[in-house]
Amino acid sequence: MSPALLIALRFLSARKRAMLMSLAGIVFGVAFFVVTQAQTAGFESYFIKTILGVNGMVRIEDRIQSTRSLAATQGSDFTIAVEGSVKYIPGVQYPNDLLGALKRFPEVTAASPVIRGNATLIANFREYDVKPYGIELASFVNVSDLDTQIIDGSLGAFSENPYGLILGVRIAKRMNLQIGDSVLLDAAGEPQRFRINAIYETGIDQVDRERVYLHLPAGRSLLNKPVGASFIQANVVAPELAPALAMRIEEAVGHSTLAWQEREKTWLQVFSVLRISSALTISTIIFISGLGMFNTLVMIVVDKTREIAILRSMGYTREDISRIFMLQGGIVVACGVVFGCLAAAAGTYALSHIPIRIRGIFASDHFVVLWDPWHYVGAAVIAVIVVMVASYFPSRRAARLEPGSIIRGSSS
Amino acid sequence: MSLLRVENLHRYLGEGDTRCHALRGVGFTIEPGRTYAIAGHSGSGKSTLLYLLGLLDIPDQGQIWVGDRETSRLTDDERTAVRNEHMGFVFQFHFLLKEFTALENVMLPMRKLGRLSEEAMRAKASDLLVAVGLGDKTRRLGTQLSGGEQQRVAIARALANDPGLILADEPTGNLDHTNADRVFALLSDIAHQRGQALLMVSHNPELASRCDHVFRMQDGVILP
Repeated sequence: MSPALLIALRFLSARKRAMLMSLAGIVFGVAFFVVTQAQTAGFESYFIKTILGVNGMVRIEDRIQSTRSLAATQGSDFTIAVEGSVKYIPGVQYPNDLLGALKRFPEVTAASPVIRGNATLIANFREYDVKPYGIELASFVNVSDLDTQIIDGSLGAFSENPYGLILGVRIAKRMNLQIGDSVLLDAAGEPQRFRINAIYETGIDQVDRERVYLHLPAGRSLLNKPVGASFIQANVVAPELAPALAMRIEEAVGHSTLAWQEREKTWLQVFSVLRISSALTISTIIFISGLGMFNTLVMIVVDKTREIAILRSMGYTREDISRIFMLQGGIVVACGVVFGCLAAAAGTYALSHIPIRIRGIFASDHFVVLWDPWHYVGAAVIAVIVVMVASYFPSRRAARLEPGSIIRGSSS
Repeated sequence: MSLLRVENLHRYLGEGDTRCHALRGVGFTIEPGRTYAIAGHSGSGKSTLLYLLGLLDIPDQGQIWVGDRETSRLTDDERTAVRNEHMGFVFQFHFLLKEFTALENVMLPMRKLGRLSEEAMRAKASDLLVAVGLGDKTRRLGTQLSGGEQQRVAIARALANDPGLILADEPTGNLDHTNADRVFALLSDIAHQRGQALLMVSHNPELASRCDHVFRMQDGVILP
């Protein structure tokens, strides 16, 4: 063991209580930091998982018709491009062509055409406004989590019934409908009869209370759109690739293409702000612990002035003295980070088992946490920076002490 | 070659109106195996001289040679290294580190020098404590020792790296007569037996007179 480390360890014992308070502050600060990050990141990642499972990673929608034109002066060969407004033609007129074009993008793992509209659901002498989504079940389950969202009935029954219907759980409850019930959907003044084969729950309130799924041909018939699709829902190999890929697809196929990050920008920003806000708030615990550490080390420097002088007289350099105090900070922060991370892991585990019913933007019956090692790294980095900065100034003060004047002052 | 040589040392203390010329051209040599005392009234400059010789202060003018090395232009780290290897200090107060045992206090200079293994340092520190009559109290903390015992631990610590020069500033000033006599005898015997030089500042004329040579100081100069 180096002499500086040995002395640092012994000096630490000189102010045990104050050191333990600083240590406790760092432990709590690190633990709370990790737990809050695990919680906010957990909710965010679960929200993303939910939203991707409902609406996919990329949507290719309306066709873009550029109104750019060329202007030229009379009698001259010189022309310039004039930017006009971009015109959008609703929907996808040739979905099969577009699906073929998407196959040229290796990042696209699956794509499915969807037709969307508005209709009134009529059952039990009541009416309810819904949004019918006509889907190709075989491909749609590859761009959504519909198969795992089914809470009653089955997709098998739906696939075998050309006029089958999958209902959102909120619609079913509101209209008091069950599997096997027959309902009418009226979109164009000609009500059509469907049978409920499954009920789904995404946890997203808006989806569960207005969206119904039916087969694509039935949807076309209901919405009186014999050709085309409202949009193509696609998934890519990795969610983070979606924005760049969306731009490339839009440029290649001439259809407005939106990645999930852009589509859910508002919610993502809310989560981001929450995460930063909680990190800043919890960091104050670590900052206060750093202040405590600073005070404790200053007191040790004052207490140990004569010992520092005698160490200097026997051959310990200013750097050695500085190292002794930096090591004290280092020992405390190392213990604080280790115990803090252990407490954080225990706290995160406990939190993930607290029952809480959440519905609205996703469905969960307990706290959702994300186990991310970077949360631990982040907390450790903040603690190390705060404590080492707090230790630097007392250590510099200790190193600057002049042994001769201290010893003479003590002797006089 | 002399152990320590001092030439034309000048030192000013204080600033502005309080500035005074504490040392005025002091010069002498120290030989190994001999004991020296610096005697004089308060304010004569003897402690100022001792701290300059111990490289704990820097002279305004003049040279201090430790062996063949001139020290006035050394960096702080170099002067600290010279102290660690060639000098041992005994002060009026023992200045033991209270969180360490007597043995560990004695080992501190050796740890810094880093030339011995842990076992060798421990054995040597134990031998030194035996030499100062504390062989049975090596594991006691400084706070568990009497004033005289603490000062003897400080002497053992000063001898830890076998320095050529032991600098003592009123080493008996805080002890009763019996302990003072014992501590001085210990320092003097060790210096003679080990071939080390002892340079001691003392107010006590009786103790000073027992040294091989006495430098009498007055108003910053050594009297002839």
